[in-house]
Amino acid sequence: MKPQVAFFDFTSCEGCQLNKLNLENDLLDILKHIDIVEFREAMDDKADFYDIAFIEGSISSPSCVERIHDIRRRCTTLVAIGSCAVNGGVNAMKNLHPIDEVRETVYGKDKYLFATLPAMAVSAVVKVDYEVRGCPMTQQDFLKLLISLVLGKEPPKYGSPVCVECKLKENECLYNRGMVCLGPITRAGCDAICPSFGQFCTGCRGLLDNSNLDGMLELMTSHGISLDEAKKRMLLYNSNEVQL
Amino acid sequence: MKRIEDVKLHEAQDLYYPTMCQVTQARQLTEMEKWYELEMPDGQDLGHSPGQFVEVSAFGIGEAPISISSSPSGTGRFELCIRQIGTLTNVLKKYEAGDLIGIRGPFGKGYPIEKFLGKDILIIAGGIGLVPLRSLINYVLDHRRDFGRLIILYGAKTPAELLFKEEIADWTTRDDVEFYMTVDQGAENWTGNIGVITTLIPGLDLNLNATMAAITGPPVMYKFVIMSLKSKQLADDHIYVSLERRMKCGVGKCGHCQINGVYCCQDGPVFNYSAIKPLEEAL
Amino acid sequence: MECFSLLRKDIPALIDHLGVFGQVIAPHRKGDASYSFETVTDSSKVVLDYNRTLLPLKKNFFPPVEKLMDFSLKDLSYTTVEVPLEPKVFFAVHSYEMQSILRLDHSMLSGNVESNYLNRRQKSRFVGISFIPDEFHFSESVGITIEELEGFDLYLNEVEDDFQVYVITKKGRSLIQGFNKLRTTEPEIVAERKFKTKIRYHYNRLPRVFQYAYHADVWAEVASRCVGCGSCNLTCPTCFCFDVNDEVTVTAESGMRERTWDSCMLVTFAQVAGGENFREHTVNRTRHRLYRKFKYITDEEGLPWCVGCGRCTAFCPAGISLPEIVNDLIREDEKARHHQRVLV
Repeated sequence: MKPQVAFFDFTSCEGCQLNKLNLENDLLDILKHIDIVEFREAMDDKADFYDIAFIEGSISSPSCVERIHDIRRRCTTLVAIGSCAVNGGVNAMKNLHPIDEVRETVYGKDKYLFATLPAMAVSAVVKVDYEVRGCPMTQQDFLKLLISLVLGKEPPKYGSPVCVECKLKENECLYNRGMVCLGPITRAGCDAICPSFGQFCTGCRGLLDNSNLDGMLELMTSHGISLDEAKKRMLLYNSNEVQL
Repeated sequence: MKRIEDVKLHEAQDLYYPTMCQVTQARQLTEMEKWYELEMPDGQDLGHSPGQFVEVSAFGIGEAPISISSSPSGTGRFELCIRQIGTLTNVLKKYEAGDLIGIRGPFGKGYPIEKFLGKDILIIAGGIGLVPLRSLINYVLDHRRDFGRLIILYGAKTPAELLFKEEIADWTTRDDVEFYMTVDQGAENWTGNIGVITTLIPGLDLNLNATMAAITGPPVMYKFVIMSLKSKQLADDHIYVSLERRMKCGVGKCGHCQINGVYCCQDGPVFNYSAIKPLEEAL
Repeated sequence: MECFSLLRKDIPALIDHLGVFGQVIAPHRKGDASYSFETVTDSSKVVLDYNRTLLPLKKNFFPPVEKLMDFSLKDLSYTTVEVPLEPKVFFAVHSYEMQSILRLDHSMLSGNVESNYLNRRQKSRFVGISFIPDEFHFSESVGITIEELEGFDLYLNEVEDDFQVYVITKKGRSLIQGFNKLRTTEPEIVAERKFKTKIRYHYNRLPRVFQYAYHADVWAEVASRCVGCGSCNLTCPTCFCFDVNDEVTVTAESGMRERTWDSCMLVTFAQVAGGENFREHTVNRTRHRLYRKFKYITDEEGLPWCVGCGRCTAFCPAGISLPEIVNDLIREDEKARHHQRVLV
C-alpha cells in the first residue's frame, strides 16, 4: 500500500506548501508513490492516521503545541519542511525581544487577548524524523527526501556550504562583486540558487554545525558592513540556532 | 612524473563499474551485523587475499568499503559481514539470498602472507575488527601446517555483540588454536573474562622472534594494544594493523582515505606498524 | 624553434583557423570582473589579457560534476558512459595552467589509469599565451616562468601590443598550416614582466621547511580565520579529490551515479559512516591542504604540486593567502633554527 501522506501548516507563509503544488511536471509521478490524505492548500479530505506528516511553520502559540502533539500521535514519520518548521526561521527573530514587548507591538492594547509563545522549531516540541530546509524549501530538495523515503534510504544530509555549489557552477563570487554573502557557512542543498541569480545568500538553510562564527563575522566586517549588521544577517533565519 | 605520452589508450581502466554479484546466503549475526555469502557471475573468482576490501554498491544508495571476511576459496564465492551504521549499510540489511549486490575490487593490500609463513600468528580483534581478521584466521586454518601457533584474542562490548559464535565455539575446542575472549560489560550467564582487550595481553607467552601480530578494531584500540605489545618487547615490524578510513573510490584517486600522504585504499588497509608509525594521522 | 609575428587584430582569424582542427576553448568574460574558459562561438569575444579564470582548465578533462553511469532500479542493471575522443584546442592558456594539467595527468594516470580522463585528454592541443602577473600570481616561486613552454604546441608571446607565435611541437606546426597572416621573425625577450608576490625561498628549500612545519603555530592562526567554505580546493587546478553520489529520478525506477569535485577543507571530508572524523579540526585540514601541495606528492615527484596561479588566494573570501602561509612557515622555521643555534 502506498504511504498515506498529510501536510499541515503552522506559523508560516505557507510558501513551502505552494512550492509543492508547483511541482506540476513531477506531481503525477509523485502520486504513484504516495496517497495524499490531508492538504488544506489543495483539498478538503481528512484522515485519522498518516504514514508521513509534513509540517510547515513554527510552533508559536499554546494551541500550536496542542495540535502538533496530536499530529505526532497520529503519524509514523514526521518531516519538518521549510526553515520555520526546521529551526523557527524568520519567526524566531521575535525571540530576540522580550515577549511582552512583542505582544504590545503586534496587538497593542489587546495584547492580553492573544496567547503567544517564543517561535519554536517543531523539533523543540515533538520528535522530528527528517527535515527539508530552506525558505522556501526547494522542490528538488523535497523530491529528494520523498524519493529517499520511498527507497527506504536516509535522505541527503548536507554537510558542505553553499560556496561549494557556487564553485561547481563556476559562479563569480559575490564577494568579488562587493557583496557580503552567507554562502561560506550556510548549509548547501539549494544548488546556490540565490547567488546564481546575483542575490547574496541569507542563510535560509541554516548555518553549518560548528561553523567558525568569529571568523565569519570578521570576514563580513572586513568586506564593509558593521559588526551589528553582520550579526543581524546571521540571525535572520537562525536566531534559534546561533548564539552571538 | 607520469606523462600522458607514456600512457597507451588500451591501458585505460573502467575503474568505477561494479560487477553484479548474487547473494547466495544471508544471516543476521547480531542486532547490528549481517553476514552474506556472495557469488561472482559467470564463474569468475574475486581473487582476493586476506585483509583486502571491496566497494559494495546498491544503486540509488551509493557505495561503501567493506572488508572481505572469508579466506580465498577459489570457488567464486566470498563472504562479507556488514554493520548497519550508514545509509548504504542500512539498506543492505534488507538484502537476502537471490538479491544482487554491486561489487568493485578487491582493493588495497592485505596481509603479507609470505612474511607470515612458518610464524606464530597473533590475532587481536576488537568488535567488528574480527570481520577482516576472519579472512586471515581462516586462511591460517586452511593452511594450518604452513604456520606456527595461532593465537586469537577477541574483545566485544557485550556478549550479545559477539560475532561468528559457531566459529568461536570451534576455535575454543580446537587444540591447534589458542583462543581468548573478553567483553567490556558482562551479562547474565556470562562466565568468561570481563575487561578491555588489552587485559588479555600480559598473560601471553610469546616467542618474540617468531610472532606476527595482526590488529583490527575501533580507532581508540590501536594505541593501547600496541603499547601492551611493546611492553612484551614485540618488534614494530612484527605488528600489522588494518585501518578504517573513508575509502570512497578504492583506486587511489578520490582522496578521502588519505592518512597524511598515504592512500589507505592503495597502501593499506593493512599496514606494517613500523611503516605508519611516523604518520601522525594514522593512529 | 620557428617564430612568427602576428598582429593583435588577426587573433580572431587565428582562432577561426584553429576551429578547423576542432572545438576551440578560450577565456571569456564572466560576471562583472571574472573570466571563464568557454567554447568559442564568436572569436571576437575571446579575452587575451585575463588574469585567471574562475575554474581552472582542468574542468574540461575532469568535469566538476560527471556522470559515471546510468542505472535501472527495476532490474539492477547499468549502462556505461562512453567519453568520445574529440579534437579540442585550448587557446590562450597561461604557463601555470599548462603545468597544472601536466600534474593532473600524473594524478589521474599513474597507478590506475582513469579512462574518462584519458579519453578527454586525447587530441587536445594547447596554445599558450604570456601574461602580466597580478598581485596573486606567484608561479615563478614554484619554478614556473611566464614563458615556460612545456606542454604547449604553440605559444603567443605579447611583444609591444602584438604577438610572436612560437611553434613548439609538430602538432603545433600543423595547427597553423595554411594560416596566412604569420610573418617569420626572431624571438624577442620581454624583460619587464615581474611577479609582485613571491615565496621567499627557492622551491627546492621548501621540502625542508615542511618537514619541520607539522606542529607550527601558523596552522592555528590560519584556521582561526578560515570559515571552511572549500573555495581554495574547488578552484585549485591540481586538486583532484571527488565524491560519488547516486541520484534517483522521481519515478524511483532509474537514476545515475555521478561524481563531484570535493574539498579536503570541508569538515565531512574524512568522516566515516560510524561518525569518526579523522580530520575533525580546521587546523588539521588546513595543514593537509598545504602538505598536499608542498610535501606529500612533492616528496615523490620532486616538484611543488602548487603552480602559483593564485586562485586559492584570490577567491578566498577570508583573504587567506597561500604564499603568505608558506612565508610565515619559513619565518617560524628560521626562528626555531635560530633558537637551536643559541642553545647549542
